[in-house]
Amino acid sequence: MRIALRHVFVLLVCAFALFPILFVVSAAINPMGTLASTDLLPSGASLNNFVNLLTSDSYPFGRWFFNSVFIALASSFASLLLSMLAAYAFSRMRFAGRRVGLLALLLIQMFPQFLAIVTIFMIFTRVTELYPAFGFNTVWGLLLLYLGGALGVNTWLMKGFLDTVPKELDEAATVDGATHAQIFWRVIMPLVTPILAVTALLAFIGVMSEFLMANVFLRDPESKTLAVGMYGMIAGDHRNANFGMFAAATLLTAVPTVSVFLWLQKYIVSGLTAGAVKG
Amino acid sequence: MRVRVLGVAALSTLAFAATACGDSGAPASSAQPSGSASASAPASAAGGTLVIWADPSRVKPLKPFADQFGTENGVTVEVKEISKDNQMTFLTASQQGSGPDIMIGAHDWIGNLVQNGAIDPVTLTDEQKAAFSEIAMKAVTFNGQVYGAPYAVENIALIRNTKLAPDAPATLDEMIDKGKELKKAGKVKEVLCLPVGVKGDAFHAYPLFASAGGALFGQTASGDPDPKQVLLGSEGSVKAFGKLKELGEKGDGALKTSVTNENYIVNFAAGKCAYLISGPWAMSEVKKGGVSYDITPVPAFKDGKPATPFVGVQTFFVAAKGKSKALAQEFVANYVTNKDVAKALYEADPRPPALTAALQEVQAADPDAAKFMDAGKSGMPMPAIPEMAAIWEPFGIAETAVVKGGDAAKAAAAAQKAIDGALKN
Amino acid sequence: MTQDVHEAVGTDRSPRPRRELTTAFVVSRIAVLAVAAAILLYAVPPLVAAESWVSLTLLGLAAAAIAYLYLTRRFIPAKYLVPGTLFLIAFQVLPVLYTVTTAFTNFGDGHRGDKADAVTAIETGSVRQAPGSPEYGLTTALRGDELVFLLVDPKTKQVRLGTGEGLTPLEGAQVGLTGKVLSAPGVTVLKAPEAAARGQEISALSVPTPGGVIKANGLSRAVEGRAALVYEAACDCVKGNGDTWTADEDQGYFVNAKGEHLAQGWQVNVGLDNFARVLTNPTISGYFVGVLGWNLVFALVSVAGTFGLGMAVALALHHPRMRGTKAYRIALILPYAMPAFAMLLVWRDMFNRDFGLINQFFGLNVDWLGEPLTARFAVILVNLWLGFPYMFLVTTGALQAIPRELTEAASIDGATPSKAFRRVTLPLLLVALTPLLISSFAFNFNNFNAIALTTEGGPFPAESPQVGATDLLITYTFRLAFGAGGAQFGFAAAISVFIFAIVAVISAVAFRRTRKQEEVYA
Repeated sequence: MRIALRHVFVLLVCAFALFPILFVVSAAINPMGTLASTDLLPSGASLNNFVNLLTSDSYPFGRWFFNSVFIALASSFASLLLSMLAAYAFSRMRFAGRRVGLLALLLIQMFPQFLAIVTIFMIFTRVTELYPAFGFNTVWGLLLLYLGGALGVNTWLMKGFLDTVPKELDEAATVDGATHAQIFWRVIMPLVTPILAVTALLAFIGVMSEFLMANVFLRDPESKTLAVGMYGMIAGDHRNANFGMFAAATLLTAVPTVSVFLWLQKYIVSGLTAGAVKG
Repeated sequence: MRVRVLGVAALSTLAFAATACGDSGAPASSAQPSGSASASAPASAAGGTLVIWADPSRVKPLKPFADQFGTENGVTVEVKEISKDNQMTFLTASQQGSGPDIMIGAHDWIGNLVQNGAIDPVTLTDEQKAAFSEIAMKAVTFNGQVYGAPYAVENIALIRNTKLAPDAPATLDEMIDKGKELKKAGKVKEVLCLPVGVKGDAFHAYPLFASAGGALFGQTASGDPDPKQVLLGSEGSVKAFGKLKELGEKGDGALKTSVTNENYIVNFAAGKCAYLISGPWAMSEVKKGGVSYDITPVPAFKDGKPATPFVGVQTFFVAAKGKSKALAQEFVANYVTNKDVAKALYEADPRPPALTAALQEVQAADPDAAKFMDAGKSGMPMPAIPEMAAIWEPFGIAETAVVKGGDAAKAAAAAQKAIDGALKN
Repeated sequence: MTQDVHEAVGTDRSPRPRRELTTAFVVSRIAVLAVAAAILLYAVPPLVAAESWVSLTLLGLAAAAIAYLYLTRRFIPAKYLVPGTLFLIAFQVLPVLYTVTTAFTNFGDGHRGDKADAVTAIETGSVRQAPGSPEYGLTTALRGDELVFLLVDPKTKQVRLGTGEGLTPLEGAQVGLTGKVLSAPGVTVLKAPEAAARGQEISALSVPTPGGVIKANGLSRAVEGRAALVYEAACDCVKGNGDTWTADEDQGYFVNAKGEHLAQGWQVNVGLDNFARVLTNPTISGYFVGVLGWNLVFALVSVAGTFGLGMAVALALHHPRMRGTKAYRIALILPYAMPAFAMLLVWRDMFNRDFGLINQFFGLNVDWLGEPLTARFAVILVNLWLGFPYMFLVTTGALQAIPRELTEAASIDGATPSKAFRRVTLPLLLVALTPLLISSFAFNFNNFNAIALTTEGGPFPAESPQVGATDLLITYTFRLAFGAGGAQFGFAAAISVFIFAIVAVISAVAFRRTRKQEEVYA
């Protein structure tokens, strides 16, 4: 494909991606801030909604921001490790129950989890009584909960990637006397940075937008995450009054994700120039 | 399997039972010793905190009072915030033993909370009861028992742009005519700002529906809504849906599915319509838009029945499975029923107070509150029976159908069938 | 390429023969033991305090098993799988199992707790204040170690002492202006914080009177009341108000002779009733085929669309001479970086006929969400927008795994770019991504939010308000389960099992194909 054609195509898709976001931008800088206004061009431009948002005493946006980023970073790092370990075993080892395990991992994700909240309350009511540090209203309990989803699709993604890394590499290392742990840390991990970065980003985004569990877990206005706090801004009859601030918050929410992406981007595309496997 | 803090709750009521039937039943006598043992053990641990759950907009106004109450009684009061599915979360959490001591919610939850044994009745003195507006007391009374302390009363009214429509319309027909005239003259974009949306909005449509002769439930002997008699398919309701159809997209154009909960207030605030049917929550936006306005009751159709709005009452509930019930009762029955507290709550979050004395004091500074209260005087407390949950959606769908020009009789019959099916009538 | 890596590994080569105790081995084993010990140290004392010996035994066994697993040289795969699996079991498998067991009960609003809870609630709810009884002012006090009530009659100002035995007059008490007792002989009056700390004792104390009992109502008032409804174990029934309600263990309700039941019920086992209801409910069976058809279309088009678009952009950017890729990539992941619920609401507003941006922008007057076809188009478009950045990201990652040499080799062999793509790139991508496509299919099959936050299932035909044009199986069945008189979790659980069966069968069939692909590399 010609380079120019590529640009045209990508630009079109970017327009599709950005169209609704421009609308949010318009609502965020519109002094009459609302998502229901008809016009893409705001009736005026001001940063009032941002100022109101950042200085609001009923919405501690800064705290939410910090909480979200902290939880998302911690949780994505931990779940990355867990899923990578599992993916390594699934890709490189042959053991009884391997196919069944893989299939189970896939199927478990498909069960409609509407009763999860009830079960979570059953488990964490007990945990809160015994170990308050990991109970309701704590970030640590929420982190543990998020690790429940660490396997799942991410394991599949990394296993699929590992399957494409030639087996001769670790066989050679085995012959050289490396243990499985050494192979994992020294041979495999460096080879899979692109997919590690992608998975980390996906996990990060997943936690940033997670809402249902965080809503029942974090009940202090100060301890909320962005998704929960923002939902509260438009919940009930305050919906209209806060839409301008809400739009501003929506935009700011993208900042951490984009930053993480910028940070990880060089790993994601590392193969592009240097070939798939660096020496 | 789980250590629940139920012993105390069970005991306190079973004691009533034990004495009520002189020869006490087995559960009462067996619960007594274990209950008193468990009562003294955790008292020191859990006795000193009171946990309140509220939705985000009420956390901040409550905080100072919670703190004051805490200082007065030497306890810690925690106000926690739940953003979504509050009723469901409260029920689930309560059942599992991690619920709050006090829950704040709308009075129409009562039926469902009661059938789940999640809240306790609140004993108010006659004097306290008399201090509340009649409709607020009626709303929190369920099966002859008071289930909470009302704090704010909310209902919809007609808000009109006095510049575009100087006179309050005497009838709905008059209002529609004026609206159409303004639209024709190009002064407004819409005849009426009343949200319909993709799935109808029974709450906002109800006054019109009622005025045109529609009804949701029949009445029991005691005057409560009777879930065994759903009247959505009745002759009166069919006529009322027919009336909504006349106002709809194929008729007057006063009701439109494109006017939604997200845009109806904004449109009024921007002067795109002269009439808005909404509640106190609309006022901050309306004032921001800078239109001059007046608030009057929703008028009735000519020769129609009164256009009664639904009345919703914000209520403090005492959780049946809370860990500090004595404190919770003290807070709900003896603290938030105080006039100064009610007034201060109003100042932090302007919703017409349920306490008459507080309302009288605030209306001097804020005439809107009294006007809304006045519009809701003849209103109907939202039915608190759990079966009401089955009404909203079929009603909304039927409303959307007729607004888009569908057949009223068919829509009403389908709604009736859906509700009867759901309620197994 | 392989050569390079050989050398890379070679530099790390350890000269020692295998199966020897290396420092790393010892250190890692010590670390494992230390972590296990630390967790035990933290976890054990509360369990001992709570005297939950079963949990303690389980914890001990689990700790021993894990310690053994990491100390032995055997069970290598398990060493890698156990950490994630533990969390998976606790927070994913347990909820699923719980859901399945719920399907056999009537768990739901009105039937949440057990029978004792229901009895408590029924009796509490029926307590009425004794007619004509005074509203006592309450002061709590201690007589020795015993909590007692000092009750002041508001009219006569007479003070009485209330204990578990009954009511006795109390002389010599000093009553303050507010009606609180300041001091009284023989008892120590509790101050507010002291009373608050004994809240549970105060709630528990009931003072018997001829007409009922006096109970505290908060900390400063007490009322005399009696329960109108009373449970009697002998007949397993509730009596009062001139009627009798007998426990019906099939329904989980107390039912009277007329067949009416008390509001508060309890959870009972209903066997296969919920499953039977799913199969026989005319609203479900009557529309099932139509909804399933649309549901499949929605899920398949969503997957194909997001994957197609995501992959196409990823491929377009995957070129050494492509400039500005960083900016493009940022723009492309933005839809994924915003909270989905917020953007779904934005899209809904954009599709508004009179006020929406789309009609405005393109000069149309289409009732997008009001007509079946346009509504279906709209939800798929929205879902495409929400989902393609994910596919873009994973394809971008997976593309890195495909050695450029392979595609270059193909083009040297004279294959056209499109042929090289189909023969080399796409199959390799699919190896890595097929499971994700399956899982994305399953996700979209049950994509509750995409529908609930945009069309809410609508538009609905006027004559059959239960099923809308964009309803998925999960949205319309859950409307049935949660619509009437509160949540019916048992019924919804049965629905979930059915929906899961459908998705799982489709997915498992698709999954069988991955075995073949995997063997290419195995």
